[in-house]
Amino acid sequence: MELITTVFIAKAIIVGVVFAITLGVAAYSTYFERKIAAFMQDRIGPDRAGPFGILQPLADAVKMFMKEDFIPANSNKWLFIAGPCLSMLTALMTSAVVPFGDSVTIGGATFDLQGIDVNIGILWVFGIVSLGVYGIMIGGWASNNKFALLGAIRAASQNISYELAMGMAIITILMITGSLSTKEIVEVQQNGHWNIFYQPLGFIIFIICAFAECNRTPFDLPECETELIGGYHTEYSSMKLGFYLFAEYINMFISGAVMATLYFGGYDYPGVDFVTQQFGSNVASFVGVGALIGKSLGFVFVFMWVRWTIPRFRYDQLMNLGWTGLIPLAMYNVVVTGFGILVGKPFMVSIAGLVLLIAALFVYDQLLVKKKIA
Amino acid sequence: MTAIIALSLFGISNLFLGFWFPRKTIQLVTLLFLVVSMALTVSDWNHELLWFGNMFRTTNTSINFSLIIQLAAFFVVAFSKAFGQDDEHTHPAEYYAIMLFSVVGAILMVSFDHMIVLFVGLEILSVAMYVLTGSDKRNLRSNEAAIKYFLMGSFTTGFLLFGITLVYGATRSFYISNIGTILTTTAPESMPSFLFIGVLLIIVGLLFKVSAAPFHFWTPDVYEGAPTIFTMFMSTIVKTASFAALFQLVSGIFGSLYTVWVLPVYFISMLTLVVGNISAVYQQSVKRMLAFSSISHAGYLILTVSSKQISTTSSILYYSLSYTLATVVAFAVLILVSEYQSARVEKPENFSSFEGLAKNNPGLALCFSISMLSLAGIPLTAGFWGKFFIFSDTFSRNIIYPVILAILMSAVGIYYYFKGIIAVYLKAGEIEKIEVPTLFKMALWACTLGTIILGIYPSLVKSVF
Amino acid sequence: MEISNIWYFLSALTLLSALMVIMSKNPIHSVLYLVFTFFCISAHYVLLNAQFLMAVNIIVYAGAIMVLFLFVIMMFDLKKNIPESKSSLTKLAGSVVAGTLLVILIAIVRKNNIPAPLGDKFNSQTGMVENLGQVLYGEFLLPFELVSILFFVAMVGAVLLGKREAGERNF
Repeated sequence: MELITTVFIAKAIIVGVVFAITLGVAAYSTYFERKIAAFMQDRIGPDRAGPFGILQPLADAVKMFMKEDFIPANSNKWLFIAGPCLSMLTALMTSAVVPFGDSVTIGGATFDLQGIDVNIGILWVFGIVSLGVYGIMIGGWASNNKFALLGAIRAASQNISYELAMGMAIITILMITGSLSTKEIVEVQQNGHWNIFYQPLGFIIFIICAFAECNRTPFDLPECETELIGGYHTEYSSMKLGFYLFAEYINMFISGAVMATLYFGGYDYPGVDFVTQQFGSNVASFVGVGALIGKSLGFVFVFMWVRWTIPRFRYDQLMNLGWTGLIPLAMYNVVVTGFGILVGKPFMVSIAGLVLLIAALFVYDQLLVKKKIA
Repeated sequence: MTAIIALSLFGISNLFLGFWFPRKTIQLVTLLFLVVSMALTVSDWNHELLWFGNMFRTTNTSINFSLIIQLAAFFVVAFSKAFGQDDEHTHPAEYYAIMLFSVVGAILMVSFDHMIVLFVGLEILSVAMYVLTGSDKRNLRSNEAAIKYFLMGSFTTGFLLFGITLVYGATRSFYISNIGTILTTTAPESMPSFLFIGVLLIIVGLLFKVSAAPFHFWTPDVYEGAPTIFTMFMSTIVKTASFAALFQLVSGIFGSLYTVWVLPVYFISMLTLVVGNISAVYQQSVKRMLAFSSISHAGYLILTVSSKQISTTSSILYYSLSYTLATVVAFAVLILVSEYQSARVEKPENFSSFEGLAKNNPGLALCFSISMLSLAGIPLTAGFWGKFFIFSDTFSRNIIYPVILAILMSAVGIYYYFKGIIAVYLKAGEIEKIEVPTLFKMALWACTLGTIILGIYPSLVKSVF
Repeated sequence: MEISNIWYFLSALTLLSALMVIMSKNPIHSVLYLVFTFFCISAHYVLLNAQFLMAVNIIVYAGAIMVLFLFVIMMFDLKKNIPESKSSLTKLAGSVVAGTLLVILIAIVRKNNIPAPLGDKFNSQTGMVENLGQVLYGEFLLPFELVSILFFVAMVGAVLLGKREAGERNF
């Protein structure tokens, strides 16, 4: 019984810390987003609240809470409230299976730095991501506003379309690691055998789908302000709007963490053995946590970088890319990976497959261009 | 057994052939595919074996049923001339592919040895039929028929699944040979009582597909709304496959629960006979009449369900074959006539469009009349012997009153089948010479000859079954 | 916390939400209750230690199919054309048939000799991914492959029916 209590307390602490880190990172992502935007557009950005504007997220939060909480007259009240709550819930739930670090030994007891180690970890991520669309759909529908509804429907079709390619990309990861558990996927990648080297094409597909699932530019059609005013959150104000925006930043951070777990070795970093020898395994684990969060923040930066670089897709372009671009590519990737496993040289075959693909696309493009000219 | 693999592969390759080859070639290639698969089916003859982890059983009976199904599919493909001409069916390869896949489903339904295989086979067949029913996209009736069929069909699939679940719960097995052993070795009183509900629900689910009487309401509308070529497909292949599955389940593994289902089944059989035949009398449309006639033929077949004798199996096979040959011809002539009349009269599928067919098209008129005679059960045609075998078989098991009713009802049947013959020969009408493609003509005469040969030498085929 | 208590609670929740699916006036509410029902069923899978089925149930039903349901229902303005409610005779006939079935089922449950659950034979590892894979690709290979034909037919059919033909009028 005592053991169970200890485990329970440890898990509670881990969950609490993960929760705090996620929220903190999400809050400061808003600040950095504006700073990076400013940098790219040659501006200064927020600099009033605190030194370098460092207290800007706090000021934003206060502003959000102080504003009038408005519910449209003919909306469906309960669902209107449920929408942002669901968005927030699904955004936070994904982090449960991300292994933030190796195990830590305190007072003879060993704890895994992970919320839950289920043997279907990656399916958990996939399932929660597929539920993420409910928050947007319910909110958009309950607003009783045509623009909000259009945004919601766009979100639904976009998420479903890109989930297929995403699932196919994950399948190749399962093929080379032979496990659905996120912990095992990370352990297989230790000592620099990161999946990105074996799955370059899979990673490209996955990151594009992650953009689409997070509704980030260039896939932010659900909130496309040039066409739909504010999209699904047109009618939202105050902290309910805040929840939606916050959920988006949380999703970015978590999808960064998932990508780091799946493709960039999770909590692995160069020189683990050296740190373990010098300072003991606990320190090494905590450095690993730092490494994972650093990788995730790197991805968050990529998200922002893309947002201020690439313009938004048109709707038909988005659908074409998903159905005729990414899904066939993902299938090709599955075949190439299978061939690699069969031959026994996954690394060589994956690189060869990528080169072959680029060459084929290049030749195709050349032929097409010549035809057009002639 | 190899036939299902081959047919699946053929279906996929058919889709690819659609890119490169003209319509005529695809039709011929599909016929070739069916011939190959029939040869593969025959190659299992006299090898009573279980395949794929005891889920698929080949017996001579199942092979015979598979052959009848593939023969029907062969004729349907041969009669599908519309794909070559009108712009409605611009994707013949896809239609042929779906037909090949649905034949896979039908073969599974006649040779399953595991409930899941039955379910999957039924679903493959049904989903393909939903699509084909609605394939006349611009026709509102076709759309309505497809939706109706889909809703009703998925609902009864639910019944079937629920029944399978209950039977599994009672016997703890999906393998029908296991279920059969358990049911025969255990006294029915000691079985959980939900077993009986499960058995009845399975029977209901399959009777729907056979379109037996209280579950027949979809049949006339769906048969009438669907393009005629697919009505032909439905009334032959779906019916044969579902009945084969029903027969195998009811008389095979549920045989020891005789007392549970015997009354409902005979009641349904008699109701089906009455409803099918009496309603058919009042129809003005040949297509609708054929729909009701297919209901009544289901009634004749259900009479046989309770028997386990070898002779019954062979009567059922004989009946299915004769029914298939006759129905295919009737629908084929209907296609030609209604296509000819569609520009001339408002309702091209009515009896009145057939008036005066014999004058300029004696061949078509003869084929149509022979098929009608066979469906009515007049001697010297296959239909007579089909009915004869079934009636004598049922009679020999001391089932008197249903047989008497069935004989009465087949007398009613003569009335409405002869309406067609009278329209063709005795009524005056203006029908010019109808152009018939060579392949179509060959298939038509092959079926008609088959009907006559079976009628004159029934032992020729009966000895094989 | 007895495990059977959790089971009773979950079952009650499942039945309640399933009832709400058919009793809600608003189709969107029906769909949301159906999603909730799927969650309850997934929880049942967890009780059986079938985690893979739990995840797949959520991904496929709650995550994909029900989203499409919502999608379609939101596109229709169902408030405006609610179909006329059936005549009282139809309602009566429906209730009689359903009531008879209910009575029969209850009667069966009451006079049951339902076999006792095989508690000692239950293998907690049955629902794990590896075991499931072994069964699917071993014993159940034929149905597994056949289902792919089923989906293929459905896919070809959907494309066939959905494709706009040359010269076809727009409805």
